Amino acid sequence: MSGGYNEIHPEPTTFWSTYIISFDHKVIAKQFLWYGIFFLGLGGIMALLIRWTLAYPGVPVPVLGSLLFSDSGGVVPPDTYSMLFTMHGTIMIFYAITPILIGAFGNYCIPLQIGARDMAFPMLNMLSFWFAFLSGLVLIISLCLPLGAAAGGWTSYPTLSTLIGSPGAGQTLWCVAIFLFGVSSTMGAVNYVTTVITLRAPGMGYFDMPLTIWGLWLTAILNAIFVPVLGAGVLLLILDRVMGTTFFLAGASATSGSGDPVLFQHVFWIFGHPEVYILILPAWGIVSDLLSFFSRKPAFGAKATALAMTSVSILSTLVYGHHMFTTQMSPLLTQSFMTLTMTISIPSAIFFANWLGTIWKGSIRFDSPMLFSLGVVFVFGLGGLTGLHLGTVTTDLYLHDTYFVVGHFHYTMAASVLLGGFAGIYFWFPKMFGKMMNETMAKIHFWGTMIPLNGIFFGMLMVGYGGMHRRIYNPFVYESLQRLIPINSMITTSAILMGAFQIVFVINFLWSLKNGAKAVSNPWNVGTLEWTIPSPPVHHNYDEIPVVKCGPHELGNPNLKNGRDFQYQTEELVEA
Amino acid sequence: MNRNQLQNNLAMTVTLIMGSMLFATLFLGYAVYRSSALMWPPLGIQKVSLVLPFLSTLVILASSWFMYQGRLKLENGNLTKAMVDVNLALALGSIFMIGQCYLWFYLKSTGIFLTTSGIFGSILYGFTWIHAFHMIFGILSLVYLRFAIKRNNSNILQTTVNVEKFWHFLGVVWIVMFLTIFVL
Repeated sequence: MSGGYNEIHPEPTTFWSTYIISFDHKVIAKQFLWYGIFFLGLGGIMALLIRWTLAYPGVPVPVLGSLLFSDSGGVVPPDTYSMLFTMHGTIMIFYAITPILIGAFGNYCIPLQIGARDMAFPMLNMLSFWFAFLSGLVLIISLCLPLGAAAGGWTSYPTLSTLIGSPGAGQTLWCVAIFLFGVSSTMGAVNYVTTVITLRAPGMGYFDMPLTIWGLWLTAILNAIFVPVLGAGVLLLILDRVMGTTFFLAGASATSGSGDPVLFQHVFWIFGHPEVYILILPAWGIVSDLLSFFSRKPAFGAKATALAMTSVSILSTLVYGHHMFTTQMSPLLTQSFMTLTMTISIPSAIFFANWLGTIWKGSIRFDSPMLFSLGVVFVFGLGGLTGLHLGTVTTDLYLHDTYFVVGHFHYTMAASVLLGGFAGIYFWFPKMFGKMMNETMAKIHFWGTMIPLNGIFFGMLMVGYGGMHRRIYNPFVYESLQRLIPINSMITTSAILMGAFQIVFVINFLWSLKNGAKAVSNPWNVGTLEWTIPSPPVHHNYDEIPVVKCGPHELGNPNLKNGRDFQYQTEELVEA
Repeated sequence: MNRNQLQNNLAMTVTLIMGSMLFATLFLGYAVYRSSALMWPPLGIQKVSLVLPFLSTLVILASSWFMYQGRLKLENGNLTKAMVDVNLALALGSIFMIGQCYLWFYLKSTGIFLTTSGIFGSILYGFTWIHAFHMIFGILSLVYLRFAIKRNNSNILQTTVNVEKFWHFLGVVWIVMFLTIFVL
């Protein structure tokens, strides 16, 4: 089934067709990258505003305060605070992580790493970006409305998100933006699934694909199945808000049959739990590959890692109820969901052990992509372990809706995915732009991110365990929480530090784009297909479609005689 | 099967899975509302007469049938006859849409309103609207297919197979909708 129909598209000639409505997967990947980095900055600033408010309630925000909140003398007002955490979550999940991990790396790596000339449907790919763009535009417009943007949490539970809880148009635009983003995601998913199945280079079986592709492929499958569920949910929410239906409104009139607010929670989490794996799977894949590449060893149990990621994807569809233990679910259901949730630790432990097995006794090179990958191993380990407390009904009832939850999901979704994303950017930047990034600045960026990051999120675990609730404007009106003020200022200081060190990244990124050393075709000495071609690749990627003869992680083979410690996937496996 | 066909079939399959999940979510909602309601239809609301929805079901079934016939004839290379069938499928699809508009007026005339009839009205209007919205895409793709057959595009059969699958999907969704929200 592989090889054959993989035509060369004519090279675009005008500025418009080269950079704006480009059908080229490499250009679309870069568009998604810029888009994601922009929103990452926006979401990050919101996070800092939230943190400032929590550490120093009632104190004007320096610099930004007088610009944004002049009416309240620079203090973040309570309603704006709700808006900030809502939009922070929404932006980070849908507009920063998704475009960078899935949009940028998905588009860039899938065709290159499987030896294809482009995606299966280049035009759909282009539309996918522009739908995402439109969606981002709607979201930004909603920030400028007189009543403000959505403020019902990123989960948008009714009744907070119905007209009773959020009277402004912000919430409606939020729904519209999410729906448009869903359209964009599903378009991408159709493309990714089809491309991986049909356009693999001749000789490349599924287990010869790099694990990055496994992660992205599983993500695309989950996206295709579960994003429409959220689509249906927000569609009904839009109908409730705009047309006056009562899908999620209860108690209007018992006799005429009332809607059900909790139904939205079910629908949201049927989507939402797979969504967290949608976000983390590409990072898992990238890390599984990079750990092997920079330990100069074959990935330990690569097949088992791929299968473990597949089992996690399947199990992730069956556990959503653990987000809703406190919604008066029957104990039989909560226990079933708890058991299923615990089952996820088995495949997770398998690939985690494989990661450790990969670096065990490797000749580790501490280049920046490796540092970030090791960072992922550390923070994902912590995130995974704290998940056990929340998946267990008895402890969850105590920890539900505290900062422990916030700490947990930031460790898994934010920290792991952020570090994984940075690892990917540092790793593929030479291929993408043909320039090397500055390694010293990259290392400063790593330590400047990694240390404060743990200060922030471990601090959150602590204050959450101490009983501090999420989403409260000023938790310290409760006397029992006042003892947590020092830890909260520590978290905020760490957050500001971490934010400051991101400037190093931005400077490095922009500086290297212009002045970076010219990248050779294979700067990291690894054997996957994208490194067999020049950096940056030509428009049609491969002059000749490569023929794959061995797996992606053939490093450190003692039988290699040609002075290299790795071999390309296009070379016959060297045996004794 | 060549690679182009495989790609098209896969993409259409994924698209139909997405559509199924969207409507499955709606039906999940219906099941929840229905099972938690004290009585159905809720007090003060009459059951909708089945005449119009039943006729709509017949129309959409016939439309699917002609689409299927059209594809068979196209496989045998008979473009002119295939065109007749596609036209008929398109006409019946449009009649179905007119029927839906009539249904909404009819519901209003029997006192079932969108905003004041609680969840019953919400389901009737909301679900049929979402289905009708997808029907518009179906009809547009049929119109496109008509012109593609007329111009005898190169991979016309593949296009027809894709449109046919989507058209049958819309028919199946309507039948499930007819059985659940109207008959039951």
